[in-house]
Amino acid sequence: MREILILGRGGQGAQTAGNQLARAYFDEGQYVQTFATYGGARRGTPVASSIRVDDQPVRLRCDIEYASAMLCFDDTLLEESFLRRANEKTLIVVNSTRSREAFSGLGDYRIYPVNGKDIARNNDMGKVVNSALLGAFVATLDKPDIETMCEVIEETAPAKKEQNVAACREAYLHIRNSI
Amino acid sequence: MLEKSNTRTRLLLSGNHAVSWGVKLARPHVAPLYPITPQTPILEKLTEFQSQGELSAELLTPESEHSAMAACISASLTGARVFTATSSQGILLMHELLHYASGARTPIVMFNVNRTPGSPWGFWPDQLDSLSQRDTGWIQLYSESPQESLDTVIQAFRIAESVNLPTMVCHDAFYVSHSVEQVEVPSQDLVSNFLPDYKPTISLNTDTGRSFGAPVDQVTWNRSRQELAEAMAGVEGIVNSTGKAWGDVTSRGYGALEHYKTDDAEVVYVTMGSMTGTTRVAVDALREQGIAAGLLKVRLFRPLPARSLREALVGVPCALVLDRNYSPGMGGILHQELKSALFGMPDAPKLHGILAGVGGVNVPPSKIQQMVTDFKDAEPSVESVWME
Repeated sequence: MREILILGRGGQGAQTAGNQLARAYFDEGQYVQTFATYGGARRGTPVASSIRVDDQPVRLRCDIEYASAMLCFDDTLLEESFLRRANEKTLIVVNSTRSREAFSGLGDYRIYPVNGKDIARNNDMGKVVNSALLGAFVATLDKPDIETMCEVIEETAPAKKEQNVAACREAYLHIRNSI
Repeated sequence: MLEKSNTRTRLLLSGNHAVSWGVKLARPHVAPLYPITPQTPILEKLTEFQSQGELSAELLTPESEHSAMAACISASLTGARVFTATSSQGILLMHELLHYASGARTPIVMFNVNRTPGSPWGFWPDQLDSLSQRDTGWIQLYSESPQESLDTVIQAFRIAESVNLPTMVCHDAFYVSHSVEQVEVPSQDLVSNFLPDYKPTISLNTDTGRSFGAPVDQVTWNRSRQELAEAMAGVEGIVNSTGKAWGDVTSRGYGALEHYKTDDAEVVYVTMGSMTGTTRVAVDALREQGIAAGLLKVRLFRPLPARSLREALVGVPCALVLDRNYSPGMGGILHQELKSALFGMPDAPKLHGILAGVGGVNVPPSKIQQMVTDFKDAEPSVESVWME
């Protein structure tokens, strides 16, 4: 079973991204479970979206203790309380203007920074980074396929469908070329 | 949408939206509803169905849950099929009228999303809200997954209408209510065959000029309780036959209790609601270690299937009751109910009550597995024990 955490702040789109990623796995025929934890969340408070993916029905109904992959919407969230749910095998994609080396002080993690803000702006998406971050994230995972991810984004994005898909592809290629 | 056939469609739905799909298929006439976190998505989806012309029910939005339940009772007495949904403070505000609904023998179906009552304020999965309504005369069923919630809310109408008792179905906040998963949605034809239109035995209408609610003498009130007792006595059998009939048409059968790997079990967990799924994983892991663990899931809590619980646990050396609720001054409510059900039974298990997940704290499979080491050979205490 694959266990994934998406970390963000209320209003950034982490829960939407979690639902879109789960939908991509679902469309590829996998069993998924996704849920968000929030406490009457307000804009700016940390939120986490949890996703489990398996080839059989998911029975666990508890928090994810160790994630095999994490997508982080904000590099200020990459601190102890979240990193204790990662280990040296965990893939971490983080929205940041900083370089990979800048995160080496956090410990022995596989961290891939991506400048989601720049990619969003390049594609006329303003500050809305979730499609770009999903593209970058999918580039580090063996599943789902980028085409499935783009189809889900095209279908579910409430506006600027083409721009969302373009941001997803640009971030995907950016990470693919850097691995 | 992944797969569609004549009898079902597979959708990606949250637990709450799965309930709304089930309700739509059950075709209620009236649904008085008041929003409350984390129930609100049920109300929102029903409103969406209605605005799209897919649900013909009259949706009422009164000023409180107390008024919503009053409207449910009135509508039900006119012979309408009635649904409502609530949570936490909402079900607690309804309390007075929950007694009235069962006394008036109204087969209302209510969905309750289990959430901590205030104070302190919280939004977390905890079953105290509905368990503290256990003496109100409502049938209570607990679901562990979005699929089971859809399946059970449809069955609940058939159960309620066959015994004229109000029925609540409950699932835990977030771990079920907001968990988005594959759900098989059966076709309207399948559900309409399983649950035909409601044919009330008594209904108020302006043509006949009957009324309901006149005061009665002591003997009549006493007799009304005995009639409730008779109706309750038939519920377990109806829950079993209804769950089996559902299994015949969907391949997903249900009963009042579910036995998971209990045949040769030396230690049996007893659970309700979302923790059941996690406990299944813990039981499998223990079995791989050579420990004969099993699980007894209590799906029907009221009426408590006491005789079946005794049969399920006779000869089992040790039973661990997991409670996601706490009754101050007493302990876990399911623990208390089990002690009562097994009282005086020869060859009863050593019964440990564990307060696991109270207030929604996380209960991973590792902690459930650890309980075997902690409790299997220990002498049980009368009190429930807090999970470390």
